[in-house]
Amino acid sequence: MGAAWATGACTPQTIGGHSVSPESKSPRDIHSCMDAAKEALKKAAHSLGAYHLNACVRCGLCGETCHIYIADPVPENLPGVKASKVVSFYRRYHTLSGQLLPSLVGARDITPDALDELVETVFGRCTGCGRCGINCSIGLDVGAVMRIGRKIVSAAGKTPPSLCAVVGNQLADGNQMSISPDEVRKTADWICEDLRAEMADDSVTIPVDEHGRRILYLVNPREIKFFPLSLAAAAGVFHAAGESWTVASKFFDVTNYGLFAGDDESAAHITRNVLEEAERLGVEEVILSECGHGYRSFRWEGPNWTAAKYSRPVRSILELMVQYLETHRIKADRTKNLARVTLHDPCNLVRWGGLIEAQRRILRVAVSDFVEMTPNKEQNYCCGGGGGMLSMSEYGERRIASGKIKADQIRATGAKIVATPCHNCADQLIELNKRYKLGVEILSVVELLYNALDRSKAQSPSGPA
Amino acid sequence: MQGFERLAATLCFGWAVIFLLVQYMAARGAAVKDYSTPAGSPLRGMIYAFTTGMLPAHKETVRKHPVKFLIGVTMHGGALFSILVALLLIAFPGMGSIYPPVTIPFLAVCAACGVYLFIRRVFSANLRAMSNFDDYFAAVATAGFIAAAALHEYGTIGTPAFLLISSGLFLYLPLGKLRHALFFFVARADYGRRLGYRGVYPADNRGA
Repeated sequence: MGAAWATGACTPQTIGGHSVSPESKSPRDIHSCMDAAKEALKKAAHSLGAYHLNACVRCGLCGETCHIYIADPVPENLPGVKASKVVSFYRRYHTLSGQLLPSLVGARDITPDALDELVETVFGRCTGCGRCGINCSIGLDVGAVMRIGRKIVSAAGKTPPSLCAVVGNQLADGNQMSISPDEVRKTADWICEDLRAEMADDSVTIPVDEHGRRILYLVNPREIKFFPLSLAAAAGVFHAAGESWTVASKFFDVTNYGLFAGDDESAAHITRNVLEEAERLGVEEVILSECGHGYRSFRWEGPNWTAAKYSRPVRSILELMVQYLETHRIKADRTKNLARVTLHDPCNLVRWGGLIEAQRRILRVAVSDFVEMTPNKEQNYCCGGGGGMLSMSEYGERRIASGKIKADQIRATGAKIVATPCHNCADQLIELNKRYKLGVEILSVVELLYNALDRSKAQSPSGPA
Repeated sequence: MQGFERLAATLCFGWAVIFLLVQYMAARGAAVKDYSTPAGSPLRGMIYAFTTGMLPAHKETVRKHPVKFLIGVTMHGGALFSILVALLLIAFPGMGSIYPPVTIPFLAVCAACGVYLFIRRVFSANLRAMSNFDDYFAAVATAGFIAAAALHEYGTIGTPAFLLISSGLFLYLPLGKLRHALFFFVARADYGRRLGYRGVYPADNRGA
């Protein structure tokens, strides 16, 4: 055949080192794509995920657990239907009945058409939020099944190009927005100037590439480009706590779109870049900015992607802030945040990450009127922007529509501020705020803590260790 | 008497157990080491997954669909009881009915639940969208098997016939949807273990 069918973008075959750019990907023919997809399926069939490929009884009770189905209750959006598309390939190649009597057991060949349909299902109709799994009557990890689907698609080189481009940026330039080290330094400089003025303290610093600091602080590139107040708030709290910290100018990105792309090899590569940066800078600990999937990636998946235990702790800034508060390194005055605040729980941080209480402990001391959404914590609804949805413009309308349930949750609290420890979620919530006319402000948890800082308790900043 | 039927049922049950175990081992693959640092207890996560985590307060699907859930649980109770009856008949050839005044109505209700689940699958557009022949066949086979157990308790069907019907079910069990008889436990344990490791389970949140 030899006809070009998929770009092979951001697949292991095309990484080939640190300097891959999206433009360098070569077209692949259908046969090699199908073989790669089957190979990815084979790997999944002999992993723990296979338990879940065998467990679904298609009871159909999962519909109302899914924000996408709630917004558009068609069978295609049922978690069980979505999972069955992935499972059908498993049955065809890895069960006896599927090999002998495929049409009787819903087993399907991996074909170009079937893969195109799978792309729409696993990328366009699922954010991998895991809410259906946690509520499954069987106990099926639907999120794991959908990620197997993404791995199959990724191996075949059919990952949506917009998502792929983000992974390509991370591989080529160290961050998803291809921000140059020079831009990072310049942004840090002007944020620092503003912060000095605001805190009336000329000793405030935002160190970049400083060796021997205690902490390497990873940030979301959105903080550099669009939300500098987030970085400023973190810098302000670090200063108040007398923390020894630095950001990196190249591998500073807390995100890892390899997770969303179902591309474990790229995800491992991105993880290693950051770990090597931490090693190079000689820090004791890596602290992750507020990012749901960044936390899941670096805290939980990263060690398994790289098949090695980390040599230094990796924690969320939320955990560090709680530690500051408990050890009295900082003090918060909740009367500085009088407006009612509610909290959106990012799926990857809470449902997949287990970081459930730290953000609540911060808000309880930093704001006067904190109210929970209903439901919340591991039962919270996805905002609709997860799973890389924000980077896939082709599904934009569905993404906004699927956020309706989240908008309803927010409105019901009567809150004026929605705090969320995730910049991805914040982007989506900002759009939901406009579309559904919620009249709220979206802030990070650290921004609220910074607002509440009792400056009289500020420590003198420590220099290099 | 019953020699052939008992042998067939024994062999078919053995086939089901062995083939399920083979599938389990294939799915399990090589031992998987988790390199991340735990934040909770895998054991507590598993215990939660099989206990509190299944209660309506903790599981939205159960809370929102209590009747459907109860019907499903009842049908499965009947299926397990019928399998137990078959195994007892294999082990104790002379055994007759267990306790018809209780078992017959119980199994009749369970079989009716099975029939309801089949009808629901036929008439629900959502269920049809995710169903294949195997799903319908499994529903009919299970309801039929439970009904056969009820009829055996009643005396309408003799032990040889019930053992042959059981043989058919055991033969089919690991090949299609019914293999969830094993993978329900395995998948739930795996999910509970992983979420326990990450500190998500046990969840104290009732979510409502």
